[in-house]
Amino acid sequence: MENKIKEFKNLEKWQGTLANCIRCGYCFEHCPMFKHSGWESDAPRAKIITAFGLITGEVEPSESAADKMFSCFYCKRCEAACSSGVPLTEIFTDTRKDLVEMGLEGPGTTSITKLNCARCLICVGACPHEARSYDGKGIDTDPAKCQACGICLEVCPAGAAKIENDFGTGREELIEKASTFLNTHESSKAIIFACNWSYFPDLQASVLPESVTKDNNYEILVNMCGGRLESHLLMAPFLHNAWGVMAAVCPDDECQHEGNQRAKKIVENLRNTFKSIDIDPERIQLVQIPAGDKTLFQAEIDTFVDKLNHMGPIR
Amino acid sequence: MKTIDVTRLRDIVGERNIKTDPSDLYVYGSDSSVHHAMPWVIVKPETTPQVQEIMRYANDETIPVIARGGGSGMCGQTVPIQGGIMLDMKGMNKILEINLEDVYCRVEPGVVDDDLNLALKQYGVFYPPTPASSRIATIGGEIANNASGVRSVKYGATRDAVLGMKVVLPNGDLISLGAHTRVEASGYQLHKLMVGSEGTLGVVVEATLSFVPIPEFRCMGVANFDSLVDAGEAIGSIMASGSIPSMLELVDSVAIKAVNKTMDLGLKEVAAALIFEADGMVKEAVDYEINKMKKTCEKHNGKDIYASYDPKERAKIFLGRKKLFPALSKYDDNLASTSLADDMAVPYSKMAEMAGKIHEIADENNIVMTAYGHCGSGCMHTKILMDTKREDQWDSAKKAITQVYDYVRSVNGTTSAEHGIGISKAESFKVEKSDSLNLLAGIKKAFDPNNIMNPGKLAQAPEDWVTATNLRYSVNS
Repeated sequence: MENKIKEFKNLEKWQGTLANCIRCGYCFEHCPMFKHSGWESDAPRAKIITAFGLITGEVEPSESAADKMFSCFYCKRCEAACSSGVPLTEIFTDTRKDLVEMGLEGPGTTSITKLNCARCLICVGACPHEARSYDGKGIDTDPAKCQACGICLEVCPAGAAKIENDFGTGREELIEKASTFLNTHESSKAIIFACNWSYFPDLQASVLPESVTKDNNYEILVNMCGGRLESHLLMAPFLHNAWGVMAAVCPDDECQHEGNQRAKKIVENLRNTFKSIDIDPERIQLVQIPAGDKTLFQAEIDTFVDKLNHMGPIR
Repeated sequence: MKTIDVTRLRDIVGERNIKTDPSDLYVYGSDSSVHHAMPWVIVKPETTPQVQEIMRYANDETIPVIARGGGSGMCGQTVPIQGGIMLDMKGMNKILEINLEDVYCRVEPGVVDDDLNLALKQYGVFYPPTPASSRIATIGGEIANNASGVRSVKYGATRDAVLGMKVVLPNGDLISLGAHTRVEASGYQLHKLMVGSEGTLGVVVEATLSFVPIPEFRCMGVANFDSLVDAGEAIGSIMASGSIPSMLELVDSVAIKAVNKTMDLGLKEVAAALIFEADGMVKEAVDYEINKMKKTCEKHNGKDIYASYDPKERAKIFLGRKKLFPALSKYDDNLASTSLADDMAVPYSKMAEMAGKIHEIADENNIVMTAYGHCGSGCMHTKILMDTKREDQWDSAKKAITQVYDYVRSVNGTTSAEHGIGISKAESFKVEKSDSLNLLAGIKKAFDPNNIMNPGKLAQAPEDWVTATNLRYSVNS
């Protein structure tokens, strides 16, 4: 056991804090990974338990244990909600550093670079976490630094940057979910793409029967970070007769990945395009919602849907 | 450890609903208690026939089965003390029916409490037993523990809301218990027996629950006290006076300090505070109840008493109360909050003495304890805050727990009000139920002759909870 503790030299300082986690599990509700997979072992509490197991030698540093520790979008909702004050993501990062030293890197949610990389180095400059670098041969991602914000995916002109394990937040999956909703709900009108930071209402774990589900005219889809929004994703719902699309991102001073500024530019460009083809630009809208302000978020959605009702479908 | 036929289980639930990796098993060996033990495999059934098949296999092979909801239990109820199959019931999470005409809903056991209430809200009704962990606690877990919460003082606990259920017995048979009616007069009311059985009798695969209208008016008040005894006596007086609070909570100085550190609620750091609420469809009736409770608090030296109908103000205090349990970890950076001696109930007239006793025992044993809880329903909570690395602190905790429960039983209280028994409270439970242990064992055998359902819990739990499992803390490190 003593040897194991020495190997986890970054994690070691958190021993006392790991005991302070009361393991209440109240972090589950905020975790998009748990919401997607439904397995407790993907929830933030599981990572804290795993970190404890690693440091005490009760969990073998294995590829699967590492995969858990490297699977996180760093939305930090769990941390903000933790009444025990446990700095979860700092603990995750330090555990990652130690695992990297042992040659264990995930893959988890770490972004990778595929062979069709053109070495344009745009992703290196765009990465807000300085996780990407060029070693003279190819692009390397530091798995301890990568926070899976996905900005590299959206700036990569070759489509070579990729997050393999995207827990349902990949572009194609989101487009599929949007089209399924629009094609199966008679009164559907809008798709709301929300970064997890601003997303809160209706995070239901349970499944409601058709008889008690209101025929919602909008669907909220989590795309993790506003920085992941791009024109193709935002336009896709209109191909399935959406009346409008909203992007919900963090306020200027709250975004941890600088994604909201990118989102603003993309939405503005699309609004200009709409104008040029005589479509009301108000059909595509960006709102900035502080973390967890579900009242404001719901109010913005309601206002947007009202506006769409007034406009009617695109002709 | 027995050999598990993973292929057979995989055939039953499918590849995506089974986990065998040690890192997954390790996570599922924990809950919110101090205990840890490894399951042998985790399976997540999605249908009742799947549960039946799993149970038939486990019964034939005499493999322990532990049904698990959100894993928020505080006494080790879902810690697999003898290993076995962990049934993650979160895969059965459909709300099957909301019947407004007959005032019931039918749900699968993995439905999360808050999700049920979100679905009910659109019809102006709610499911009231709601514990503080309602955002992750599942209906199945709440049934297993007979969960209750802040509103149970008026609306009752889970047992009061369960009208019926479907249960898979250890041999795989599916039985229906109870009815879809408010009353059921005769027989042994086996659906009520299942509530609080902590997964030791069978697997609940469907529950029929009653609900009530959401009141038009809710008013919440706070009263501060310079003496914990005064606050405790105020609780007794409020309940004895015929008041009908919809919430009556005690928080002591330790709890107030912890919540203020976490949420900046601005509660005055006094010896104790009472949070009280009245609700109803007629404002005058709510006013009447609130004024009556305010006067009772005044009579017992309550001060700074105020009450508000403002939803934002009420929501802030309500959330603070809901987050109190994890907030206790912030009381002192050098002390961890452990789920020990966490729950008990005493008669109203003993509430003040109980609260005082908790602090007295803590001082005597050089640990920190807090007194809080849904005292309106007789429920008192505490936690033990200690340096978990020190072995002597565990010895102190053990002694304190024995003293707390000796007192509880001496005043005709009970070991568990709502958190269950599991492993860590079994010692006192067995003493409390000493003259009915044979009957309890007989009931267990009638349901589960091979003893595969969550073995080693309740009356079967080891005598010494400290050595019953690995502790989830590093002791002496």
